[in-house]
Amino acid sequence: MEACGQLKEDYDACFNVWFSQKFLKGDNNDSMCAQLLKVYKQCVEKSMKDHHIDLKDADIEILGTEKEAKVPEK
Amino acid sequence: MKIWTSEHTFNHPWETVAQAAWRKYPNPMNPAVIGTDVVDRSVVDGVLHTHRLVSSKWGLPSWVQRLIGPANICYASERSVVNPNEKFMTLKTRNLTFGKYVAVDEMVKYTPLPGDPNKTLLTQEAVVTVQGVPLNSYMEDLLTNTIMSNANKGRQAIEWVIDKLDREVTEIRNNAASARDELLTHTKKSIGGITTTARRSMDGLSTAAKNLTSSPTAPVQADIPKI
Repeated sequence: MEACGQLKEDYDACFNVWFSQKFLKGDNNDSMCAQLLKVYKQCVEKSMKDHHIDLKDADIEILGTEKEAKVPEK
Repeated sequence: MKIWTSEHTFNHPWETVAQAAWRKYPNPMNPAVIGTDVVDRSVVDGVLHTHRLVSSKWGLPSWVQRLIGPANICYASERSVVNPNEKFMTLKTRNLTFGKYVAVDEMVKYTPLPGDPNKTLLTQEAVVTVQGVPLNSYMEDLLTNTIMSNANKGRQAIEWVIDKLDREVTEIRNNAASARDELLTHTKKSIGGITTTARRSMDGLSTAAKNLTSSPTAPVQADIPKI
């Protein structure tokens, strides 16, 4: 989301360090970037709402069910 | 429905490839992917679970857009799991846009190559289903071909990221070395400066002392420089 660019950059920088230096070395404590993740996630959520993106759509099976779009009749 | 599978071996250990996988986008090989945003992420029982929104520009041919509708940006939902103890990383992606007609399910898995811990095996699978529109099998072919060519670019992208990571490490090392050199030079200069000042003060003091002893009545010419 374009609106969250800087927040994403800050969080990603923290996450990349945490992932390689802590998580892959057996440290499961993810509090290091928690605050950055929180503000970044809030921004993404808001931005998704603004763009009418609903992630629940991916969890619903449509094809092969009654909800599937039908070929228009000729 | 079309099913596509593929395998690839990276000449890098699993840990390196897993790090690169997180830093894959943006890259010059897959310019269509314009964003990956974390929607949810948590560590449960030592396993990292992540849900991301992937935004991309598909650049579909106009005949496809006429059939399923236009879209500037396509969104997909990606769910991934990283298990550092068992050393595997899996990413499952499904499209959100055009979901009524098109289902593209992609599965990517990174594991150490059995028998060679310095290499990483990538297994990839895509299931493409287009239904409810005319020319659906053409569209399935088109999407499958796109996935195939993107998969190839994606591997190059992983190599590109690993190369970039290596360069960053070298750069940090070089920066640290030059910072240390600079610090040494500064310290030497400062010490040199202090020594010169101190020497001048000493000279000033001895001159003053000499003046005192030679002519005790004369006013003291204390030309002691300020440090």
